[in-house]
Amino acid sequence: MDVAFRKIDIDVYDEDALQESELYDADNRDPTQALEEVRARQVSVRSLLAKNDTAGALTTILDNPPYGPNVEDAKTISLQTLLTILNSTKSTEIPTAINSLSIDSQDTLMKYLYKGMAMSGWADSNASVLLSWHEKLTEIAGTGCIVRTMTDRRTV
Amino acid sequence: MPEIFNISQTPITAHAFNADRSQLAVSLNSNDAQILTRSGSEWAPSEMLTEHDKVITSIDWAPNSNQIVTASQDRNAYVWQQTPDPETGKIVWKPTLVLLRINRAATHVRWSPKEDKFAVASGARAIAICSFDPENNWWVSKHLKKPIRSTVLAVDWHPNNVLLAAGSADMKARVFSAYVKEIDERPAATVWGSKLPFNTICGEFASAAGGWVHSVGFSPSGDVLAFASHDSSISIAYPGGAIHNIRMPTLPLVTLTWTSEDTIIAAGHDCQPIVFSGSDAGWQEVGTLDNGSYGSGSKAGPGSVGRLKTGAFATFRDADSRGQTSSGTTDSKLSTIHQNTITSVRPYAGVPGQITQVSTTGVDGTLVIWDTASVSALTGRMAAMSM
Repeated sequence: MDVAFRKIDIDVYDEDALQESELYDADNRDPTQALEEVRARQVSVRSLLAKNDTAGALTTILDNPPYGPNVEDAKTISLQTLLTILNSTKSTEIPTAINSLSIDSQDTLMKYLYKGMAMSGWADSNASVLLSWHEKLTEIAGTGCIVRTMTDRRTV
Repeated sequence: MPEIFNISQTPITAHAFNADRSQLAVSLNSNDAQILTRSGSEWAPSEMLTEHDKVITSIDWAPNSNQIVTASQDRNAYVWQQTPDPETGKIVWKPTLVLLRINRAATHVRWSPKEDKFAVASGARAIAICSFDPENNWWVSKHLKKPIRSTVLAVDWHPNNVLLAAGSADMKARVFSAYVKEIDERPAATVWGSKLPFNTICGEFASAAGGWVHSVGFSPSGDVLAFASHDSSISIAYPGGAIHNIRMPTLPLVTLTWTSEDTIIAAGHDCQPIVFSGSDAGWQEVGTLDNGSYGSGSKAGPGSVGRLKTGAFATFRDADSRGQTSSGTTDSKLSTIHQNTITSVRPYAGVPGQITQVSTTGVDGTLVIWDTASVSALTGRMAAMSM
């Protein structure tokens, strides 16, 4: 018996419903553009890491990240590039690297850390790296950084 | 020295003083408003205002006309006036119904500077601007609806009695014109615009990282708007100019007030009032009014991620690794005076434009009156984390 008697989706016609898109400014790059940008960054990050410039590599990948609903590929590559940087940094160098970041970059880094921790399967093997970066970042940027990760709708 | 009063064990939802600060109206998270009278260094309960069916979310006391307005989750607001009781002759507070016509809770209420109107923010995605209709002896309302998309959390009036700032859960702070034809004369042009019919939007602002706008405030001149949002930031907007956004490394602020044209005091989940200062060139955080020596809790070390070093975590860890069963020091008390979130900061003494003292109330049931001049630096400790 077909109990779904409605033939149309009435929720899309509800004017009063608050849409996710109304709550933040959308990323105005289209998917291919964002993807190209991220690949270019990936290349420059590799060369910076070869020169041992962790701070520069972090700034490159954290500046103006792709966010929002339709740039999934760009977001994944961005996260993977960031994780290579995090894995390759010695734990004694972490505070200096974080201190060299702007507040925007620190907030973006926190977002990526939480995203990394949320990814199932992958998080298990890298949990210690993510957690140690999280601890150092919280000491420097404070709980305000964590609050901003939770309120910011521009999900990376 | 801040004056500390333990008003109750329950949270204080809202507080308002009368003109000479001899009486205080509070909502103790209940359906009734309590009027307390100052006797020496204590506040003694004197009257209860019982009319609402649900929690009173906001109270405002008009200093000149001596009227109290209470707004509640029961979708009503009442205006209370002192009149002699016909039977006993005593002066009692008598309520007058306000027709808000909202179908959700009222969240915030403020009298306008001239006290002939008041604005009620509500969960019905509207703000009710109420004015008195002498023909029928009740208060009637007009709604500011467009383009509000979610609950309005806070309102503040501009000194010209016409413009209204509103902070909302749709992450925006807006400035509306609440010009009521029957009551107001045409206002002079301001930086926000001229010729403003009812419900015109004079400005819409948001913080970059979003978050509900918990509190809004116009500067004493009305030319600048400040708002605190849930992304732990405070923004100061100059219409036609820059918006300065200060991101705090601490927990979000939920209430703010201007003490002069270049100073703001804001408080929130960090349990201490924080002072900001600046001009259109830039704003920065200057310090805190609570230097940590007034409270009786232990202080966390600088920079320590305090939650792991004190409190429940440490108790169990010590019991496990060192066999210690008592924590010794009072680890669960905060080093600030307020032991829980401060939900309301209001001017207490001074003239508008030069406020010398502010009063704060919070979820811990204490009322504290602070001196705005005694500012100390915010040290590396993050007060709310030293729990």
